[in-house]
Amino acid sequence: MTGQTYNLKRYRKWVLPVLALAISVEGAALVCGANIRGLNRGLIQGFSFLGHMFPPDWSAFPEMLKPAVDTIIIAVLGTFFGTIISLGFGLAAASNISPRWLRRLTRGFIRIERALPEIIILLFLVAAFGLGPFGGVISLTIGCIGMLGKLFADAIEEIDPVSIEAIEALGASKIQVIVFGVLQPIIPSIISFALFRFELNIRLSVVLGAVGAGGIGLELYRSFSLLDYNKGLTCLIITLALVIITERFSEFLRSKVKLAGVLR
Amino acid sequence: MIEVKNLTKSLPNGRKLLDGISFTVNKGEFVGILGASGAGKTLTVRCLNGLLKPDSGSVIVEDDQHVKRDICSISKRQLKKVREKIGMIFQGFHLVKRLTALDNVLIGRLGQINSLRSLVYGFTDKEAEEALSALEKVKIQHLAGARVSSMSGGEMQRVAIARAIFQNPTLLLADEPISNLDPSNAKNIMKLIQPLSKDMPVIGVFHQPEMTAKYCSRVIAIKAGRIIYDGDPKISDELLIEIYGEELRHLEANFFSEVPPVPITFTKTKTELHDRPNL
Amino acid sequence: MKEPLLYTLPSVRYRRKATVFALVVLVTVATCIYLGFDPLMLFTEFHYVVDLAGNMLPPNFDMFRTNNHVWWAILETISMAFLGTIFGGSIAFVFAFLAASNTMPVMAIRQVVRFCLALMRVIPYLVIILVFVVAIGLGPFAGMLTLVWATVGTFGQLFTQIIENIEPAPSEAISSIGASRVQVIRYSILPEIFPSFIANLLYSFDINMRAALALGIFGGGGIGFELYMAMRVLRYRDALALICFTIVLITIIEKLSDHLRKKVLGAGALK
Repeated sequence: MTGQTYNLKRYRKWVLPVLALAISVEGAALVCGANIRGLNRGLIQGFSFLGHMFPPDWSAFPEMLKPAVDTIIIAVLGTFFGTIISLGFGLAAASNISPRWLRRLTRGFIRIERALPEIIILLFLVAAFGLGPFGGVISLTIGCIGMLGKLFADAIEEIDPVSIEAIEALGASKIQVIVFGVLQPIIPSIISFALFRFELNIRLSVVLGAVGAGGIGLELYRSFSLLDYNKGLTCLIITLALVIITERFSEFLRSKVKLAGVLR
Repeated sequence: MIEVKNLTKSLPNGRKLLDGISFTVNKGEFVGILGASGAGKTLTVRCLNGLLKPDSGSVIVEDDQHVKRDICSISKRQLKKVREKIGMIFQGFHLVKRLTALDNVLIGRLGQINSLRSLVYGFTDKEAEEALSALEKVKIQHLAGARVSSMSGGEMQRVAIARAIFQNPTLLLADEPISNLDPSNAKNIMKLIQPLSKDMPVIGVFHQPEMTAKYCSRVIAIKAGRIIYDGDPKISDELLIEIYGEELRHLEANFFSEVPPVPITFTKTKTELHDRPNL
Repeated sequence: MKEPLLYTLPSVRYRRKATVFALVVLVTVATCIYLGFDPLMLFTEFHYVVDLAGNMLPPNFDMFRTNNHVWWAILETISMAFLGTIFGGSIAFVFAFLAASNTMPVMAIRQVVRFCLALMRVIPYLVIILVFVVAIGLGPFAGMLTLVWATVGTFGQLFTQIIENIEPAPSEAISSIGASRVQVIRYSILPEIFPSFIANLLYSFDINMRAALALGIFGGGGIGFELYMAMRVLRYRDALALICFTIVLITIIEKLSDHLRKKVLGAGALK
């Protein structure tokens, strides 16, 4: 008997948090209009809808190749330019090589950029410049700053300060110290992070495409809007292929970078 | 020639890290600086090439043209020029591990060549040849094309020495260069550093009194920021204890005790590695 | 006498470097032309940005007072992210146990679950929300379900790895005294991964908040939808006000999430 009371008492401290959690879940569900009945109905509808999507529209494959290539190119260019810009931000945001005011300013800017989803950036670019791949590339480029800027800055801050001093001590100019003392050692990290971001950017490129940047994302969205679900499945398959191939490619390259310390 | 006059540095709370350090080192001397951790050895050496600025005092360096400059009071640009001719090696080697030995040696002359050229074009073939001969001086020319990350500690320190040699320096500084090396490598490195003192003053910080006794031409001992000895490298036991503290007396006693060796037997233990249990 | 190659001449290396550089520039320019992407447009057509900025500034913070929808939308977005994290995290948690090699001995089940997790991870959330919108209708419910799916996709694999990476020793110890599988899970595995799990849950809330914004545009409701609408009807000042608020909100949640995560991971194994 005593054992049982002890067991129960032990869980008493859980009661309040669990209750709070339950209430907030219920409240949130109310706000969202979530309900089990709707979910059941929706699932049935969803599955029947999925059935309508098969078989994929095989004839549409050839014409989907160009949009797919566009999506890839948008992601590649976005990652390429984004990495270069983020290097600048990373250097400016690293405490061991950047004056304090610059570091705080840059870190603040990076933090703000991180809070901005790329889609929102694209909305503004579309409002200013119109639809098309331009907005896609620019928003991916800017989007890189939040993640890569922080990653680069952290990687730079991890460099042993004496290593940087060693280059300073032999009379190198500031730029030489940065290139040979800071950038050279982190090149494998740069490539690794850039490849990682590239995986993300491919997915983003698809989504941004739907919002107006073009490419396979736009085709996907369009087919769904026009109720051409078979074509939609075709686009979906191509998108999946893109994402999976990119991931394998990125993983492969990243493993090579780790082994070789790479690139001369 | 390098002349150190009255270096002082204090912490904000008043504690003196360096208290009137003064000495002069000429070409031909290999000076070993000894001292307990925190006594001020590394601080002194870092003041010698401007990595640390003392509160007061001067460090006067004479270059090939017999021009004397005070490192503590010159402008940044002049400091950079002076540093081109000061070689320094470190306890942690501090090479660019990604690059080859040759590239690391070439980095030594970064200050002496045009900044833009070094970034865009790189180094010339002639400079590469000279770098190779620097590697020959430290006897690892066969590793010229090998990545530094694949080398042992002793080899890495040799590359660092080659980098310093490649600068054609007028002064060589060393901050605990053999502390990370095993005894055999340490000896080899000391053997490499010693002949360099023929052409320039060499100042090194060491934690190994037996090494300085053997290879240095002069020893300076620092305690609590002050020089307490400056002279013959073969220092007495009393001075050692003075430098490193009373504990050394006990350590020394145990290290060379007369206890006969205990026979060691190895017992075989069978460890069975079973698979992860199926839960 | 052939001497072994000691190093490559710097002049040779320079030639190689220059060739690679030239190629990269060429390919970049070629792709830009092919795509119709003219980076210089950013500068030549900059007046568009200036125009837009003129239309957007000053941000109309008044709308928070006048527009009643907005507060409801904010609540919607937070609720979406919250539920997505809770449910998604829970499902991912369960799936992870089914997919980890040290908690699920039946390989067939493991493979199936891993395949499902991989599928959920690879399909872009754009498609998911489209499907849910068709199935359930527009609104935050569809958005919430999409987030649940996305969370399972992102964290399912992560949780599996966490479970598999724990030390086997404590579990072995407990099972060796005769505990059943469930007991081993409850007493040795759970306490060990709990801090990590909570930390990831907090991180996932952070991510889901940003995702909820994006989903709003595709019919998920919430602030994203309000923003999209505001831009469509050219009420740019309202849009900027919403963005500012969003940035502040996301930053607060990120700070909160980081702080709580530090507490959780720093405290070590709780309970």
